[in-house]
Amino acid sequence: MEPIDGDGILNLFKTRMGGAILSSHVDTYVNGVRKKKLQTVWVRVPRESLREAVSLVLEMQAPAHIAVASGSDLGNDIEVLYHFQVFWGFKRESTVSVTIGTTCPKSDPHLPTISDLVPGALITEREKQEFLGIIIDGIPDPRRLFLVDNIPEGKHPWRKDEKGVQDMVRNVHEGGD
Amino acid sequence: MIQAIAVKLILSAIVAIASIYVGLGLKGVDRKLAARMQGRIGPPLRQPFWDVSKLFQKENIVPYHAVDWVFNLMPLVAFTSAIVIMLYMPIGPLKPVLGGFGDLILVVYLFAFPSLAMAIGGFSSGSPIGAIGAQREMVVMMSYELPLAIVVFSRAMILSSGGIEGLTLKLAIDPWSMVGMLGIIGLCLLLASLLMVIPGELAKIPFDQPEAETELAGGVLAEYSGRNMGMFYLADAVKSLAIASLVIALFFPWGISSYFSGLPELGGYAVTAWALDGAFFLLKVFLILLVSVTVVRVVMPRVKIDRASSFYMFTTGAIAAIGMLLIYICINGGF
Amino acid sequence: MAGKSYTLPIGPVHPALKEPTMFKLTVEGEIVTAVDVQPGINHRGIEFIGMRRNPLQVLHLAERICGICSIVHQYSFALASEKAAGITEIPERAQYIRTIMAELERVHSHLLWAGVAAHELGFDTLLHWTWQLREWVQDVLEIISGNRVNYAMYIQGGVRRDISPEVIQKLKVMIADYRAGIDQLCKAFTDDRVFRHRTMGVGVLTYKDAVETCAVGPTTRGSGVHKDVRIDQPFGGYADLDLDYCLPEKMGYENNGDTYAKTLVRLQEVVQSLDIIEFCLDNMPPGPIRWESNMTKLLQHMKKAEGEALGLNEAPRGEMIHYVKLNAGDENVSIWKVRASTYNNILAWTKMLPGCQIADVSIIAAAVDPCIGCMDRVTVVDQDTGKEKLFSNEDFYRASIRKTRAYQRKVSP
Repeated sequence: MEPIDGDGILNLFKTRMGGAILSSHVDTYVNGVRKKKLQTVWVRVPRESLREAVSLVLEMQAPAHIAVASGSDLGNDIEVLYHFQVFWGFKRESTVSVTIGTTCPKSDPHLPTISDLVPGALITEREKQEFLGIIIDGIPDPRRLFLVDNIPEGKHPWRKDEKGVQDMVRNVHEGGD
Repeated sequence: MIQAIAVKLILSAIVAIASIYVGLGLKGVDRKLAARMQGRIGPPLRQPFWDVSKLFQKENIVPYHAVDWVFNLMPLVAFTSAIVIMLYMPIGPLKPVLGGFGDLILVVYLFAFPSLAMAIGGFSSGSPIGAIGAQREMVVMMSYELPLAIVVFSRAMILSSGGIEGLTLKLAIDPWSMVGMLGIIGLCLLLASLLMVIPGELAKIPFDQPEAETELAGGVLAEYSGRNMGMFYLADAVKSLAIASLVIALFFPWGISSYFSGLPELGGYAVTAWALDGAFFLLKVFLILLVSVTVVRVVMPRVKIDRASSFYMFTTGAIAAIGMLLIYICINGGF
Repeated sequence: MAGKSYTLPIGPVHPALKEPTMFKLTVEGEIVTAVDVQPGINHRGIEFIGMRRNPLQVLHLAERICGICSIVHQYSFALASEKAAGITEIPERAQYIRTIMAELERVHSHLLWAGVAAHELGFDTLLHWTWQLREWVQDVLEIISGNRVNYAMYIQGGVRRDISPEVIQKLKVMIADYRAGIDQLCKAFTDDRVFRHRTMGVGVLTYKDAVETCAVGPTTRGSGVHKDVRIDQPFGGYADLDLDYCLPEKMGYENNGDTYAKTLVRLQEVVQSLDIIEFCLDNMPPGPIRWESNMTKLLQHMKKAEGEALGLNEAPRGEMIHYVKLNAGDENVSIWKVRASTYNNILAWTKMLPGCQIADVSIIAAAVDPCIGCMDRVTVVDQDTGKEKLFSNEDFYRASIRKTRAYQRKVSP
């Protein structure tokens, strides 16, 4: 598919996904003396539509380039954002960052895998599992990646609740033994 | 009889100690020169002595999975065999200490001993890194044995043609004067292939695959520490002196004292002449190691193990074989 | 040894790896048949620390993720946090200075890599030569910022220091000297027969594998993939430049993704960086260097800000991305995700390593230019019991007492 700009990508998402999009916007920044445009597209979808949204990214450019997935603890939910780069390598400044966000409740922390659609997502999915305490259904290699074995099961560094690692941190400046 | 044995023993001890000191000194020079060629300042010349004394003070760790008696024995075997080679080598003006008890074939096999001991030590360490290093040590060793053997036997062929027992190391015989033009070309080829063997024999870049720091983290030596490591270090130092002595004994057995007349004597012994020849011998050793070890390891990267093996088996082997053929033609054809 | 395979660990600490990580290789004879990468040994929990600091503090924490590509982390974080806080008008002069610093770092990083690659092949002479060349660029970085690493140049909305006309003169002298030096270096690498033999056809990453594993940086450009954030999504001063992808074909070699191709890419990029620096120096616009020069005001603005943004940047090792989310009620950075380039290249390793010889493992691993400190972002292993457990202060204290008592028994029987 020929490269389109951020607004075009957002329109494509809106026409194809329709009501499944929870929220979306395009950020535009300018750079340099010549004030060149740089766009990032943010689309948030429910987890049932995640794979559909990723397939749409694949339609724009395949194989897709996933930069990383980032995640956050929103309180009751866990949000995972998949940062894609689409239209890389076509011509100068053709690339647009497309972020697809989805959430899952902490009571049922399951997300579908996208590593069959984007093989490069395996590493970041493994990291999300161990750091956020979510379960990626269908991940080909569910082992831990960065966390070594001496972090106990059920502890996830990015969680801000009782599953986080705050209680394992020793603040040296507070004294103690 | 007992007196003769005692004299041999004392001489052996002197040669052993002297060769350790000279070997370590040469290592220091090598390191300094290599550093200067690479644009570094380099360690002080005494560094190898400090290294060895430090190693001998350190704890000697034997890995849990190692066969401990083999693991501890092999450094000793490597070190003693390196010393024994020196006892068979004519050192400058001095005849070999054990000259009457063996010939060149024995020396060639003694050269295999330190490498063999290292390989066995690597296998017995129980570490995969050591095992791979040991395999590589064996591969390199088997590859350079062929050119080494060809060189030694060609030289024996020349001496035999002159009516001298070819395999002897007792006498300083100049092979260059015994052959014609074709033979001299042949001798040059043999010398070149022997110089090529030296980096492999001493496991120096580009043929340091058994120890390859960045690939195998020290390979055969990965598990060695303390006194055992120190032994291997000494064995390496003595071996570099020994292989240079072999080159001298085979190709450059000349002294320079005969060019000077009226050298002062001390109590009937030609002490000054000996000193002059000894210094010349050290100079020759230094030059040989400079050409075949220091310069080579500075200008070359490490090659792969299959490349090293084929280099010795085919390239070096072919050069040596052509040299042998030329000498054969020269001797029997009378060119 | 035919038919018998065993596991050869490369790591956690190994001379071939400049930082701790772990490769488990399944080896048959000298051939590697399978590989498993087990990172995490150098994980320091920097993101966790960062989510408990305010954006100005994290700026300096980000720089300490890595010692080699330190400034690109600061660059990415500055880009992401200023966008999240709604600071969109960065002074043009600041954008140019940012670009100059990032490119100077690329020069020093690529030269460092070239030296390491030579060392991996046992070519220590070239290592010392390359690193001698690298000293100059570090001197220049020290003249500009006062530091050889961790330059602390960037801040949200600009840079902290200006580049004076005298320093510009020094930079120009350096660039002129470097052009000659790099030329010689290129010759040293491309003319050496053993270097060519050791790198050509070794560690091949095909175009297909490169795009499928989402690999980034010179690792992919060696395979002919057109991926470079500076060109695809120009940011800062790069927006005014007309750059082109550095591909091996420009030096008359095919884009086959082997280690030699990656070397050529990096050598070209050093020259390209010099061009970029020169352009930026010649065309540097005048004006302020900060959006807000009062630090307290800036911090107040950041605390009140709400938003999320991405900071994308081309590090020496490839695309680098930081995700930052700021919440109005939270004075700290709410969410901070760091993704360094090596992270995306882990999967490339698993494609490149199988089938190679043990001798090639170190150069293939190094060809990615791994930056483990960036990728992993502490734990203690109990060697005696073979189990890993988290040590607390009491454990350390007890272990210390035990050791003291053991010594006492030894000394006085």
